Order: sequence, then C-alpha cells, then structure tokens
Amino acid sequence: MSDLTLLIGAVAYDPKAVTIWEGIREHFLDQGIAMDFVLFSNYERQVESLLQGHIDIAWNTPLAHARVRRRTKNQSVSLGMRDSDRDFHAKIVVRRGAGVSSIQALAGRTLAVGSRDSTQARILPLHFLAKAGIDLGKLKILAFDTDVGKHGDTGTSELEVLKALHDGRADAGALGDLIWVTEQSAGRVDAAKVEVLWTTPPFDHCMFDAAPGADKDKLERFRKGLFSMKWENPKHRRVLELEGLKQWMPPREEGYASLHEALDRDEAKK
Amino acid sequence: MSVVAVDGGDLPLGGGLLALLRPALALLQPGGQLSLISSAPSVAQDLPAWCRVERHDYLGADPLPDGRTSHRIARGPLGVARGPADGGLALPERGDPSTGFAPRGAAVEPGGPVYPFTLVERDHVIPPEVGSLYEQAVASQWVAARDIPWNTVKPLPPTLERALGQTMTFLAENELSALYVPANFLPRIHPAYAEVAMFLATQLNDESRHIEVFLRRARAGGGSLGVSSVTTSQSLLSLLELRDFTEAAFLLSVLGEGTFLDLLKFVERFAPDEATLQLAQKARVDETRHVHFGLAHVRHALGHDPSLYGRLEAAVRKRAATLASAAGVPAPLADALTILAAGGADPGGVRKGHEAFRELLETMHGNRMRRLEHAGFSPEQAKTLSDLHTPNFM
Repeated sequence: MSDLTLLIGAVAYDPKAVTIWEGIREHFLDQGIAMDFVLFSNYERQVESLLQGHIDIAWNTPLAHARVRRRTKNQSVSLGMRDSDRDFHAKIVVRRGAGVSSIQALAGRTLAVGSRDSTQARILPLHFLAKAGIDLGKLKILAFDTDVGKHGDTGTSELEVLKALHDGRADAGALGDLIWVTEQSAGRVDAAKVEVLWTTPPFDHCMFDAAPGADKDKLERFRKGLFSMKWENPKHRRVLELEGLKQWMPPREEGYASLHEALDRDEAKK
Repeated sequence: MSVVAVDGGDLPLGGGLLALLRPALALLQPGGQLSLISSAPSVAQDLPAWCRVERHDYLGADPLPDGRTSHRIARGPLGVARGPADGGLALPERGDPSTGFAPRGAAVEPGGPVYPFTLVERDHVIPPEVGSLYEQAVASQWVAARDIPWNTVKPLPPTLERALGQTMTFLAENELSALYVPANFLPRIHPAYAEVAMFLATQLNDESRHIEVFLRRARAGGGSLGVSSVTTSQSLLSLLELRDFTEAAFLLSVLGEGTFLDLLKFVERFAPDEATLQLAQKARVDETRHVHFGLAHVRHALGHDPSLYGRLEAAVRKRAATLASAAGVPAPLADALTILAAGGADPGGVRKGHEAFRELLETMHGNRMRRLEHAGFSPEQAKTLSDLHTPNFM
C-alpha cells in the first residue's frame, strides 16, 4: 500500500459503520483520493493508534476528541464535524406525575443516566446539573453502562433511560437531544407519561482528528474529499443519512469547553 | 412578509404536534416563516432541538397576551420536494431515474436513489394512442370460463381431434412467448410513462387468458396436446432474447401477432364447434389491439428517429439468419391446419384443406406487407422483410 493512501480510523459501533465507510471510501476514490479505513472496537484503542501514527485521521466522539486535545497539548489538528455535531444539547426528561417540576426537585429522586463514557447521556448532563447548583450526591443515580468503549454512539443506554422512565423505575433521566427528538418523531415516546424538564447549554459532538505533525498534503486531500459530499447527490445522501448529517462543517473548539471543564473536575477529584 | 400561523393547542412535540407542524412547513419555500402557537410548556424546549435535527431555523418565542407562546420557525433548505408545474399533465421528454416509482405529477423529495429504468425517452416509449388502447383493453376483458360456450364441444373423429390438439398446442406455445417477451420490458419502462406499462399489463392478462382457453379447448373433447417443434422453439427463443423494446414491439406485435391474426381467422373459419370459433374470435380481437399498439409504437418511434428503419430491418435479417435452418412451417402444424380445414381425413377434403393452407400463407404475406407499409416502410422494404419473416408465424 502506498504511503499516499489516507488511513482513517472509525469505531464499529454498529454494522452500518461498514456501509458508511465503504460509501465514503468510494466517494473519495471518485474524487481521485486514495483512502482506506480501519474499524476499531472502542475509542480508547483508536486514540492510541492515532497518537502512535498507525492511522492518519480518527473519527472521534467528543470524549475521544477531548482526550486527543489533552494528550497533544492542543497540537492535534481538528479537521471537520457534522452539522448535527454543533450545538448539541442534553435533556433532563421526567416521568409525568413524579412531581419533579424543576431540577432542584431532583434531590432524593432517581435519575437514570447513560453509559459512563457517554458525553450526552452522562458526563455533560451531570456536569451541567452540578454547575446549576444541584448536589449530585443527593441524587439516586440509576446508571445504564451499556456498550462501554463506544462513548454512547450506539444510543442503547439512552433508550434504556427512556424505558426506565416509561416503566416507572426512574423519576427523571438524562439523554441527548438527538435521541429524544428522533424517538418522539418516530412516535416511540408516550407523551402522556414522559416530558422534557430541562435543557443543558449547548456543546459540540464528534470531530475528525489528526495527530500533530500530520502530512499537510494528506490532510488537504481529506478536507477536499469530505467537504465535496452533498446531500442532494443520491450516492452521497445514502451515506450522509446513515452517518446522521446533512452537511460536513469546518471544525471549532469552543463547543468542547464544557467537556474539558468536566474532565478537569474529574481529574482534580482523583 | 406574510407568516403562516399554526395552532398547536397544548400538544407536546411527541404527542401529535408534528402532524400539524411538518405538513405546514412542507408548504413553505426555504426561508419561509411559520408561527406555532402553543400552550404546552415543553414545546419551548423540544421545538429548538427538533428544528436543529431537521435543519429548520428556530427564530425564537414571543409570549402572547393570553398566556400562550408564539414560536417562530423558518423552513430549512433541505428536502424540498419539487413537482412539475403543470401537475404532471404533460409527459416529460425524459424520465428522471431518481424519481423512482413516484407517479407523474407527484412532488419528489430530492436525493432519492437512482432506479434502473432504461426506457426513459418519451419519443421512443409512449405513442399517443396508448391511452385509448388501454381503455379499450380494460373495457374488453372477458372470462374464459364464463364467455365461451364450452358445452358446444363434442368429441371429434380421432384425426381431426389430434389436428385440433396440435393447433391449440401451437397457439398456446406462441402465446406463452407473447406473455414472457413484453414482461421483460415492463420493469424497464420509466413510470412517467406508466400508461405503456399498464397497457402491457392488459396485454399480459390477455395472453394468460388465451393460453388458458387454447389448453382447455385441446382437452375439452377428450383429446390431448400435440408436439412442440424445434423450429417453434428456436423462433420463440430469438424473440425472448431481444433486448430492444422497439425491436421487440416490431418483431412480436407487428410481424408476429399480425401474422397470428390471419392464423386465428383461419381457425375461426374452420372451427369444428361454436366454442372453438368464439375463443379464436375473442383472442383475435385482443390480438388486434396488440398489433395496433405495436404499430403505434413503431410508427411513433420511427417518426422521431429515422435511423430506426435500418435497425429494424437489421433485426429482422439477424433473426432470419439464426433461423436459416428452418425449412418452413413446422410440419406438425402444417398438417394439423390442413386436416382442420379439411374437416377430417377424407382425401377429397384434404385436397381442399391443403389449398386453404396455401392460401393462408399467401394471405399472411400480403397482410404483413400491408402492415409494414402502414408502419412506414416502402413497398420494396415491406416485401423483403415479409419474405424474411419466420416460418413459425410468430
């Protein structure tokens, strides 16, 4: 294999990852850009492989991105994100009739949360609740640590949170707004039983990362390939829909500030 | 700017509100604004998230004097379905493969998959007569079990019974090919020209019914089926292998089914009973419609593409070359038609039957030339093509 081939890492959180990346590779090849991909089973291994130079670029969750930034002292290169990665929110959702009418009323109640490495269903909602003055020590946390290593990509822990609310095991729950909205749109939320209570401030989600000192020409070819994907093109649209975006966007770092704060706080506790 | 207002009552986003909101947004152009009036407090939190996911712009909320809230939304740029300005009344010059099975006139969301339709040119696919031919076809459907006086069938002398069985076998075998050949093209027709596919569906239904009555007649008097000859088999395979719709319409419908009309008329003329007469007659009426469609198709295509003459002539020559070893009408059929016309095995009658069979071949040749000229060929071309036509009739 030629050194010119861009090697991209992604985590196989679902069988569709193969379809997505085969589609993206085909698009890159159509653009005359040699690209191949490596699928990892978890983000920890992917981040190590990026930092050791086994792959050129990693498609990272916010947590994996934040770790790359911290490990490289902000010298890594951020390349692009989905439109849907910008201004993500988490929601605190409550069971109607549980008598939780404000986040202050969560004290002493059961809060269902997602996997411990899920930014949207655990790390940031708890961080934002604490910042809003809620004493997390007074909450009964019902945690669903499913698919650990996949940083919440599978959404299974968020669906567990919704299930716990529907069947009364939890009074409140934390989940990302994407799952909350898509489950409602699909008619899978019983609006008579469950409703939104609180919305966190915005934060950003996934990012393509390259290690410091990555080949500039390779990165330029990557950007050219990525940003030429168009929603109106049927071949591209199939891949974009599976990957959950309508448009690739340039990177921005400010959307990860809250996550860094949360990680700083965790590290200080250790 | 005029702003559309939607009254969402106290519906939560996941409790039915979207059924009011989504259709209202779909009516707007990108950038067009809508106000959603709601008394549900959860909507203030869920609506911005939904707008983000769907790429609409959530512009903000204004409190109303009555305590409700007006949420302002601008429609996003994506997924705007577009339809033809005339509502699909006019046929597009080319079918767009990415409109899939959307009926002509429907608004189509962009970005759909590309369908493998290959018959996408109006001037090649859809002759103007197709609408009236479809209506005729629908109005002329008949039922084999109900509309044929089967009780008029009586056992025939063995020679005649076998001749009838052979004739019916040949008719059914050829109609099976007429069922399969157009079926090949049906899924390739762009749905913008669905009328053609729908006409072909009536044609397939006709052929099914013909197969049913020919086989039923072969057995109705206690007889059985006859022989399928290699000449017939080769001839029909060369039809099944055609890949060009217009060539197939020409060879199958204009030349093949056209020739078949004379054959059915012959069976009517010498039918041993009322049932045989009526089933041949009814089949002939259906086949006449198929010939009309074939002629309309070929005339229409020739009118838009003069180079087609050469291609159709080449198709006939190519087919004749592959059938060169066939000496003439398959012997079992020639004998059966002779006996059928003779009405039995009496040598005096057979002489007349033989003459009738020879006349049939001449009639077929004459009518083929007439149809070819009607399709737009010169008399010389018509004679050459008719001479080259398969001895299998179809």
